[in-house]
Formats: sequence, C-alpha cells, structure tokens
Amino acid sequence: MILLLLPDLLILLLAAFILAFDLYKGKDASGSTVTFHASWVGLMVIFFILLNLPYDEQALYLGSYQVTGTSLLFKQVFVLSALFTVLLSGPYFTPGGNYRGVLRYRSEFLFIILLCTFGMFTVVSSTDLLTLFIGMELATIPLYILSGYQKEDRLSVEASTKYIIMGSLSTGLLLFGYSFLYGCAGSLTFEAIGAACAANPDEPLLKLGVLFVLAAIGFKLTLFPFHMWAPDVYDGAPSPVTAFISVSSKAVAIAFLLILVYGPLAAMHSYLQPILLVLAAATMTVGNLGALKQKRLRRFMAYSSIAQAGYIIMAMAGDAKSAYSSIIFYLFVYAAANYAIFFILSIIGRNGEERLSGLRGMGKGNPVLAAVLMLTLFSLGGIPPLAGFMGKFLLFAAAAEQGYYAMVVFAALNSTISLYYYLLLVKEAYIAQPASNRQTLTLDPIQKTSLALLTFAMVFVGILPVFSSSILAIVQ
Amino acid sequence: MNGPLLLTLIWVIPFVVALASLPVRHDDHQRIKMLSLAGTLVNLVLVIVLTLQFIDVAAISKVATEASLSQFHFVHKVAWFKIMNIEYNIGVDAISVLMMLLTAIVIFCGVLASWNVKEQAKEFFILLNVLVAGVYGVFISIDLFTFFLFYEIAVLPMYLLIGLWGTGKKEYAAMKLTLMLVAGSAFILAGILALYFESGLNTFDLQLLSQVRFSDSFQYWVFPIIFLGFGVLGAIFPFHTWSPDGHASAPTAVSMLHAGVLMKLGGYGCLRVAMYLLPEGAHMWMTFFLVLVTINVLYGAFGAIRQTDLKYITAYSSVSHCGLVLFGFTAMTFTGLKGGVLQMISHGLMTALFFCLIGMIYGRTHTRTVSEMGGLMKVMPFLSVAFVVVGFAGLGLPSLSGFVAEANVFVGSFANPATINRVCTILAVLSIVVTAVYVLRTVNSLVNGPIPFCFKELTDASLLEKVPVTILLFCLFGMGILPGWIIDLVNGAVHPIYNNLMR
Repeated sequence: MILLLLPDLLILLLAAFILAFDLYKGKDASGSTVTFHASWVGLMVIFFILLNLPYDEQALYLGSYQVTGTSLLFKQVFVLSALFTVLLSGPYFTPGGNYRGVLRYRSEFLFIILLCTFGMFTVVSSTDLLTLFIGMELATIPLYILSGYQKEDRLSVEASTKYIIMGSLSTGLLLFGYSFLYGCAGSLTFEAIGAACAANPDEPLLKLGVLFVLAAIGFKLTLFPFHMWAPDVYDGAPSPVTAFISVSSKAVAIAFLLILVYGPLAAMHSYLQPILLVLAAATMTVGNLGALKQKRLRRFMAYSSIAQAGYIIMAMAGDAKSAYSSIIFYLFVYAAANYAIFFILSIIGRNGEERLSGLRGMGKGNPVLAAVLMLTLFSLGGIPPLAGFMGKFLLFAAAAEQGYYAMVVFAALNSTISLYYYLLLVKEAYIAQPASNRQTLTLDPIQKTSLALLTFAMVFVGILPVFSSSILAIVQ
Repeated sequence: MNGPLLLTLIWVIPFVVALASLPVRHDDHQRIKMLSLAGTLVNLVLVIVLTLQFIDVAAISKVATEASLSQFHFVHKVAWFKIMNIEYNIGVDAISVLMMLLTAIVIFCGVLASWNVKEQAKEFFILLNVLVAGVYGVFISIDLFTFFLFYEIAVLPMYLLIGLWGTGKKEYAAMKLTLMLVAGSAFILAGILALYFESGLNTFDLQLLSQVRFSDSFQYWVFPIIFLGFGVLGAIFPFHTWSPDGHASAPTAVSMLHAGVLMKLGGYGCLRVAMYLLPEGAHMWMTFFLVLVTINVLYGAFGAIRQTDLKYITAYSSVSHCGLVLFGFTAMTFTGLKGGVLQMISHGLMTALFFCLIGMIYGRTHTRTVSEMGGLMKVMPFLSVAFVVVGFAGLGLPSLSGFVAEANVFVGSFANPATINRVCTILAVLSIVVTAVYVLRTVNSLVNGPIPFCFKELTDASLLEKVPVTILLFCLFGMGILPGWIIDLVNGAVHPIYNNLMR
C-alpha cells in the first residue's frame, strides 16, 4: 500500500521542484515569489492528504520504514509547523519587511525547510536505530545552515557556529550510546534491542548506553543541563528559523524519545522514570527562572520553550497510552501558541527590534492583535478555557496516574512562575505607556489569516473534545 | 423553566454579553454599559426564578434530607472530554443557589456602580462579564474538572481589571493577587488529579467521589493541599497578603465582586471539595487550620485598626470576616458549618456595599484617607447613613445580616467540646470588639465633626447611584430580619456534608 507513503513522497517531490525551479530560473528568480507560494500550497495539500489517510492501518516499507497512526499524527505536526514557518518567512525576504535586514536565497531556504521536514518524517517512521539516526541528522543538519541565514549579522553567525558545535557533540554522544545498545543486542533493529532489554533490564552497559542517548537527545530537546545553547541560537537565528527550531526540532526530539522509551526500551521504563522526572523538574525550573529577566523576545521564547520541554518530558513518566496521547496533543497546542507568538514578533519586527518594548501600546493601538497576544500567552501559561490548559492538564494527568503527585504540584507551581513572565508581556502590551512617536503596526493578509487560524485553534481545541478524543483513538 | 437549562443559561448569558460587546464601537460607552446592565438584570431575574424553583423542589425532598448523602437538584450530565471521562455535569444545592443569588445581586449593583468608567469601557465590561461567567460556572459545577476550569476563568481577568483600571500601586497588586491565586490553584489541580486517580472510578463527579472512602494516609496529605489551595482565595493566614493590596487597588465594581463573591469561592471550595470529599482528612487537620483561621480573624481586625485608607480598612476587615467563614467550617459542628455558609452570604452583601460606598465617596472627595474627611453627613446624608448602617452590619448588630451569621459561627464553634475550639472561640469573639473599635472610629470621623472647606460643595448620591446602595441595604436588612428561609435552605444543604464529616 503506497498510499500511506504519499505524504513522504510528496514532500520530497515538492522539495525537488523548488530546488529545480530555482536552478532553472537562475538569477532571474531572486525576486520571484513562485517558490514561496508553491511551498505553502504544497504543504497545505500534503496536510489535507495526511488528514484523510487511514489511521488504523500500518505498513512497513523496505523492512525499515514504518507508517503507523501515531507517526502520521507526528507528521501532521511537522507539516503544520513547516507550513507556518513558510508563511512566517514572507516578510523576512521582502525589503523593508524586517528591521534586521533582508534575507536572500528564498528558494534555498524553503528547500532546506522541506528537506528538514522529510528528515523528521524519517525519524517517526523508523524501525531501527540506523534509520532513526539518519532521520535525526537529516532533521538537524539543515538547521545549522538556517540559523546562520542572516549572513551579515554577527549574532546569526555565532548562533550557527554554536549550534554546529553543540549539535556535533550531541551526535557523537548519540552514536556512542548506540554502540552500547548494539553491543548488548547484537543488532540495530528495535525488535532485537527490545528483546535484549526485556531479557536483562539491569544490564549496566545497556543503562550506560541509554544514558548517553538521553544526553544526546537532551541537547536537541534543550533539557537541563544541555540547554545552554538554546538562548543564543534562538536569539541569533532569523525569527522564522527560531520558530521552526522551537517547534519542529523540539517535536522531532520528543518523537525520538517517545519511540525509544516506549519501543525498544519499554522494559527499562521503571529505571528511566526517575531520571526523566528529575530532568523534567530541573528543565522547567531552569527555563522558567531564566525567562524572568529576558527583554529580547526571541531569547525569552527560548527559555519559555525550555520550560515547556520540561512539562512535556514529565508526561513520559506515565504509561505509553497516556504519554503518547497527552504529548501529541500538547505538541499541537504548543505549536499553535508558539507560531502565534512568532507571527506577532514578525509584525513588531517590521518597525524595530523584537524586544519587549516593541509590544508597548498594543492594547490601545491594535486591540485585536493585543487580544490575540494575550490569548496566546494564556494558552502557553495553561489558563482555561484555552487549549494550553487542556494540554497541560493531560500532561500532568499522565504523571499523576503513576502516583507522582508531588511532581504535579511542583510542575503546577512552576507553571505559576511562567504565568508571571507571560503576564509581563500582557502588561507591556496593555498597561505600559507607549512612547508618543510609536508607529502603528500593520498586518499583511497572510499574517492576518495565520493569526486568525492559530487563535481559532487555541480557543476551540481547548473547548471541543473532538481533537483530544480523536488523538486518543488513534494512539490506542 | 427547565432547571438544568436555566443553570446553563445563567453562566452563558454573561459570556454572550461579552461576545456581543466585541463588535460595539470603541467609544460607544453608553451602549456597552446598557448591554452589560441588561445582561446582569436578565441574569438576576433568572437567578431569582431559579431560587424560587429550588425552594419548591427542596420543600418536596425535605423529608429525605436528614439522611441523604447528596443534595444536588437540577442535575444534568453531558459527556465532554472522552479522554478522562470529563463531563459537563451541573446541579445546585442550597449553598450554590444562595451564592448565585448573591453573585447576581452584587454584579448588578457592580455594573451600576461602575457607570462612571470612562477609559476603555468596552474592555472593562467584557472582562467583568467573563469573570462573572466563571463565578456562576463554579457554583453550578459538580464535575471537579469543570469546577476547576471555571475557577481559573474567574481568577484570571482580575489581572487586567486591576492592572488597567485600578488605582495606586496597581501593577504590583494585580501581579501579586494573580500569582498567589494561581499558585493556590496549582495545589488544587494536583489535589483534583490525586482524587481522580486514587478513587479509581475514572470520574470527576463530586457525588460519586464523595461516596469513596480514601485511605487515611492519602487523606492526610491531600486534604491540606486542597484546603490551602482554596484557602488562598479565602484569604487564609498567611496567604492573605494579596487581599489588602488587591482590594485597595481594584476599581469599585471589581472590589465589590472580588471581596463580595470571589473570595467566597475559596470558602465554597474548602467546604465542597476538601471537607466533603475528605472528611477523615478534615478531622486530622482541623486543629491546625482552626489556629490559622483564628489568627486570620484577629489579625485582620487588628490590621484594620492600623489603617488610615478606607479601602485598606475594608480589605483588612474582609480578611477578618472571611476568616469567620472558615472559622465556622473548622468548628466541625452542624451549626458551625451553617454559620460559615451564612457568613459567606452576609459578608458578600456587606463588603460589596462597603466597597460600593467607598467608590462613591472617593469619586467625590478624591481621597480615601479617613483623617482628611469629616462631616460628610451634612453634604451627603444618603451615602453617610448607608455607610453607618453597613458599618453596624460589620460589627454584627442584630437585625442586620452580620448578626445572624456571626451568632451561628460562634455558637457552632463553641459547641465543639475540644479545649482548643473553646479557647479559639473566645479569642475570635474578641475580634467583634476590635471590629467595633475600627468601624465606629472610621464612621465617626467620616460622617461627624466639622466639614473641611473643600468638601462643602459636594453633592449626595445621584439616582443612579442610589439604586445599588438601596438594593444592597435592603438585602442586608432582609437577611437580618427574615433569615428563616435562608437558614432552612442552608440546613438542607449542610446535612449531607455534615453526615459525610461524621461518617
């Protein structure tokens, strides 16, 4: 059945088309928006195909590429994220669209995004460590290029360099961990490793290997103490790239971890639980405390997303069903909120730097935009009836189900801290007095539509039960 | 009208009003205010209808109440989130009906009292309506999840309401209030999840959960978590500090609603969730909370003596009086529980009127410092008389609502034979004397004495302002003179909770 593979093939085709179009047109294409429109239309088509695939079937291709209902759900997240990144990137490639300067080579940018998304597809479709590894690298290496896309900007170059060094280190750790797993199981397939784990879950070498893998993925997922690169990279990279890193790259790392923890390493879950909980607690605390004093919004979002990663990891203490359903649900919610924030950043980025003070006076000048900002921040902070509340509730419930009530208290208190800095943004938008010579913010149609869609999602996913129950049905 | 439908309508209407205000033009203040007023008026009528229907239903089932374990009427269930068997499960007992009545009265008066909001009136009334919708939602929920959801909706709009339209150090106060209350709800959330998973019933239904006997060791740690979580909103010592700052900085209508109704959500949650579901835990922890609450009652009263700002005085007296609500609950006697519930209603009416009057007086004198005022009786007799009356209600004068409630609280508390209860009751009764000191002193320097020159030209309340004051005064007297029907209703609602406590 080739049908289930259709999204993967289409995304490759789309990427190929965009690269070919650029090569064919040569220098004439530098100002063209054909590739831009082609990418977002293409991604939308892929998304609708994804929605209409049969989720209760699964298929194995070439012995190592598996498509299941959950992997299709992850693919939905990745495609949506790529779609919004493409839409978000619009003004950054048009002169005068952003205060930091114009980005060039749009087609290549789009090609890299699509390729990266394909890498993520590979990760969630893998059945052995090798495919998993290749997918992860394919999903990460393009990001090194993208984060340095603002070539004249020193911060951007710094971000790229830092990201490469940290990323390579994490790859090294990952391979090192793999070697132990391979040594114990004698094979790279999940089946064999699962059998080896089940046969001897207390094997020290296995544990060591798992720890290395955890550390490696900790880099990608910005878990404490491997989160240090995140603020610099998020701040230096161009905003659309930051948005992409904060959603897609994080989502793929989470998918990676879920696949391993509930797949081959399922027998070691009781050993992993305390480690994951400690990591979660430390990560959310570090993220929340770090965000308190940030004035640069991209840095701010870096810390906020570190904290969010902490909440997500917490759910991995739960059993497979509740972890998968709550985490996938939360990824959608988190993606919607993050992209809404980045769209607002791109709007204020037209007139000045993307700083806290750029929000000033929004409540009076652009009341609708300010309301969207407030809803988004409340969703991130987990305030009902927005989607973020339901998402966090399910994450907490996954941990509570195993009896980790103290952890739930800790996480909920942490989310109170996060509410403080989210409210700081609300305060800046509504209460702080703006400077008199403030320029009004203007939105182009793409920004308007995207923000409307995202807000709609944040409000209705939290109220209507259909989203969460369909995810639950697929995961079961 | 069909009961459950009525309940749903009551919380939906404020939401609809909020949504309907969205397309109204920004500077068309009149229309926005009329919209809100109409909405709250319709709601008031609906709640009165609900109360009358409830009295009928309660009268029929009265025979059963003494032994019954559940007291909810107009129950209706709809499955909502399949994922954790979350239901939209509504129903009311006498306590919630009375609290809804209180809410409807207070918010109707609150909208009238905030007729003079000029800046960004649209946003103000939208937020106010969302807040009220949340409050109604809490009172009708039997499902713990929906309960918590509405609870949070009720807490959050406060941030902007105080931060934008407040006075004084409003940003600080708004942030402090929001964060403390949300931290409280963090505990509640954990507690709710613990109840859900520990019961093993896969339900958030309060009625079903109340039948479960949780293990003692579980109750031992989960009870204080939930009780304190709600206690923060009930201004329990030492988590009361948001209250003086918050109430003092908030605009009039918000102070009225917050001190009048929202703080009661705390007490309501303590009773409905913590004590009803975890009775054994309540027995283990009551002495501890009794001491905390006694400190509340005394500290609030003494704190009020020290203040010179009218709003701070009222805010501290709120801490003291809200302490009495919990004081009644911690007595663990039937009369005590009843007294606590009565005190919620009485204090709601009283403090709403207090803040309402202070708002009106401040709107004229532009100062809230007691020592700068005087002789107001000469220029604004209506407001001054109302102020005197509400002051008397505060110190528990018979024939006003405060007396009925406080008498029940203290009698109920003393009825518990434990020494610590007796001692704490005696200490708490002292607060009445202290209350008399600050109330009389404030009233005296406000309405009597020579009038400062700058106040000579001030006018008395306009017709529009007289309406809310009259309504609230009427209610204060009504509850003080004819408390019988309220007490009958409350009796019916407290029985199941008390039976559970004594099981």
